[in-house]
Amino acid sequence: MSDILVNSRDQKFLLYEQLDVEKLFGYEKFKDYSKDVVDMMLGEAEKMAEEVLIPTYAEGDREGCRFEGGKVSVPACYQDAYRKFCEGGWLCPTKDPEIGGQGMPAAVFSACVEMMDGANFAFMMYPGLTAGAAGLVEKYGTDEQKEKYLSKMLSGEWTGTMCLTEPGAGSDVGALRTTAKRLPDGTFLISGTKCFISCGDHDLAANIIHPVLARIEGDPPGTGGISIFLVPKYRLNEDGSPGELNDVHTGNIEHKMGIKGSATCTLNFGDDGKCVGELLGKERQGMRIMFQMMNEARLEVGMQGLGHASAAYQRSLRYSKERIQSAPIWEMKNPAAKPVPIIEHPDIRRTLLWMKSYVEGLRALNYFAALALDMTHVAEKQREKDLWNGFLELLTPICKAFTSDKAMEICSYAIDIHGGYGYCSEYPVEQYMRDCKIATIYEGTNAIQALDLVGRKLGANRGANVTALFEKIGETIARAKGLPALQKEGGFLEEALGAVVELTRQFGRWGKSASFMIPVLNARPYLMILGDLVVGWLVLQAGAIAEEKLEGIYREKGAEGSRAKQRALARKDEEVAFYQGKVASAVYFTAAVLPTIQGRCRGIGLGDRTPIEMLEASF
Amino acid sequence: MNLIACVKQVPDTEAQIKVKADGSGIEEAGIKWVMNPYDEFGVEEALRLKEKAGGTVTVVSVGPARAMETIRTALAMGAEKGVHITDLDNADAFATASALAAAIKEIPFDLVFCGQRAIDDDSAQVGSILAELLGVPQVTIVTKLEVADNKIKAVKPIEGAQLLIEASMPCVVTAQKGLNEPRYASLPGIMKAKKKPVDVKKAADYGISADFKANVAKMMPPPSRPPGKIIQGDDPAVKAAELVKLLREEAKVI
Ligand SMILES: Cc1cc2nc3c(=O)[nH]c(=O)nc-3n(C[C@H](O)[C@H](O)[C@H](O)COP(=O)(O)OP(=O)(O)OC[C@H]3O[C@@H](n4cnc5c(N)ncnc54)[C@H](O)[C@@H]3O)c2cc1C
Repeated sequence: MSDILVNSRDQKFLLYEQLDVEKLFGYEKFKDYSKDVVDMMLGEAEKMAEEVLIPTYAEGDREGCRFEGGKVSVPACYQDAYRKFCEGGWLCPTKDPEIGGQGMPAAVFSACVEMMDGANFAFMMYPGLTAGAAGLVEKYGTDEQKEKYLSKMLSGEWTGTMCLTEPGAGSDVGALRTTAKRLPDGTFLISGTKCFISCGDHDLAANIIHPVLARIEGDPPGTGGISIFLVPKYRLNEDGSPGELNDVHTGNIEHKMGIKGSATCTLNFGDDGKCVGELLGKERQGMRIMFQMMNEARLEVGMQGLGHASAAYQRSLRYSKERIQSAPIWEMKNPAAKPVPIIEHPDIRRTLLWMKSYVEGLRALNYFAALALDMTHVAEKQREKDLWNGFLELLTPICKAFTSDKAMEICSYAIDIHGGYGYCSEYPVEQYMRDCKIATIYEGTNAIQALDLVGRKLGANRGANVTALFEKIGETIARAKGLPALQKEGGFLEEALGAVVELTRQFGRWGKSASFMIPVLNARPYLMILGDLVVGWLVLQAGAIAEEKLEGIYREKGAEGSRAKQRALARKDEEVAFYQGKVASAVYFTAAVLPTIQGRCRGIGLGDRTPIEMLEASF
Repeated sequence: MNLIACVKQVPDTEAQIKVKADGSGIEEAGIKWVMNPYDEFGVEEALRLKEKAGGTVTVVSVGPARAMETIRTALAMGAEKGVHITDLDNADAFATASALAAAIKEIPFDLVFCGQRAIDDDSAQVGSILAELLGVPQVTIVTKLEVADNKIKAVKPIEGAQLLIEASMPCVVTAQKGLNEPRYASLPGIMKAKKKPVDVKKAADYGISADFKANVAKMMPPPSRPPGKIIQGDDPAVKAAELVKLLREEAKVI
């Protein structure tokens, strides 16, 4: 195992020991899956990530995309990688086999995608957006639209995008100005400019299908008046093949901090009044329809953060064992003392464990959300379906915003661990940080995610979703408290949970009062608090599972009650070392992070509103 | 065409190999197992021939229960069926080749592929013994292959030249790096592989005993290298003299 991108043992722990995905295989929908099949798929995903995608990572960044003569080209090395990726069947594994997928559980796909995103996220945007756009056609398209577009998109022969943003309509999508004019044959003439469109133009595929948000002439302003249209780059001939250009022109591509292999395009629709779009779904349902793709994309952005965070940690771990610098602190007075690998220095160890526990917690958070998605498909009772759907809706903004914010911090620490070398392009960590940053911005900035959490998701279902989450956390508290080694940690989580429950109630009260601006003002810190709580819950749950396994192993090997024997065991046995590492993550995280939650909750609870009230002149 | 590809499961090239304390073999815990890379070339070549000329590809493996993963990988790449001979742990090249030969004789075959060697024991004998036991020609270390009119034309690199060798079929070919670029097992391939038939056999089914001609008496880690020595000093002539002295007296190489 090279484990250059992920700790594959941890992925398997999470899938099989913590989330128990094998239970999914008992349902009709996933009956063709088994642990053997999944292990083999993980092996193939790792190969695809390491052998096909990693070699395109730095090269794609250096070469970037080019815009010449109105045409966009991707880094040359993407061509072969894209072909291999599509041939491997990786574009849409979670889709039904009838339409070209493999019916793969989303939780399993998460583990595959984590490796691929860590290998080259900029590349992954092309297939990712294509699968997302195809999903819209699948769900909302007419039979004729499906016939025309679906199989071509799901095979990767054509790609897809999502066209929301305009120069004057970023966070506020409702402000868009692109228009649609009815034609007698039921199609529409699209006119307007979209900007920042990822993979909006390129030379990887023969056609590009744009789902475009626009307003039909005469429809009301705001999000309620928006419709969605399928706009192919090339119109289709009678036989379904790409024909003449559909009056979609690329104005420019952006020059960016990162994800340079992903072409970010300004697209002009209908400059010559000849851009034809087909309505997707019903009129004025555009936002609702696009939200399907946006919700999926938000989870994918979470995975983007996770993939970078994991790779950054793996690289840092490797580097800290190789880089020799400084004698240990206890040899301070000894000029003849030998320098040691930096992993022996306390600050590096602490940083590594901080990164490790967050990476494991974020991994658990994102896979858990994917499992929730799977469960919404297979759960038999309505109540159970609602429960999982509630988790999914509540956790989506946290997966997106918390993961991406923490991933940036993790990438930043990875550079710190590499010292000056980390800042230079010889090591990949500086690119991780540049590529990762976009995750906090697109798909709705993290501030917008926080507003979604506080304004919509907390109160949804009359607060039942968040209450169910708190109950789940309570189960882990009880489990940890039952284990001598994690009793104290269970207590820490309980205290943190108590503080969050209280602040959440306070938000509810403020929300119904004249003080409703306080939750709005503090939405982002609240999201970060809830993220830490959820990660604390999941790392402690993992710690408890690992501790229970360790107890069995110690009993069997006669190492009960002897720290020395347990450590000796871990030196010989990788499994023991791994489980001890899981317990270490739990113990460290509960001590280093969870206690800060009470302080942060208390601060917000004070109800300070200075940022709102102070005059702009005073800034 | 009836094509056979022999495959062996070996530790990943990146795996950290630890020899067991008692010298009986390697520590298997934590090892990632893969298809022997040279066998992958054989499987790929068989698949390409099948795709061009039609036929079936059968994979045959001698190895413990876990070797089934490697058979499934070949099936996921596109092979039709497999034979797995499970109870010949630590078999030597002769016993392995005997088991393979026995299994292959039960299937009609035109062309048999082996890797030119396995990266774990590096013995490079199985393909040749197999050809002898099957009584067919062999061409080893092949980097290019053409099949026509019941004959093969194979290119084999040797020191400073390449040989073009013709052989009649059926025959055995051992594959070398460069023969092709093996494909990845695709997801649809993996799903289909589950349903493809694999015959699980015991050596006794073929009348082969575990009485090997060669046994590994002991496995030892390679001797650790003594640390290098840096000759200090400013004067190159003095340093050179010191080096000569050390080479003569300590290293005893001159
Ligand atoms: C590389 C890249 C790829 C992209 N890909 C796509 C794509 O494929 N398709 C697509 O449609 N778009 C895409 N975008 C656009 C992206 O989604 C927007 O940039 C993003 O939604 C923010 O919009 P904006 O840039 O106009 O910023 P603004 O909306 O102007 O926001 C500026 C700041 O104000 C804050 N802000 C704005 N409104 C509020 C509010 N109500 N409350 C609190 N804070 C607020 C924001 O959080 C942000 O900090 C991409 C952008 C980039 C850079």
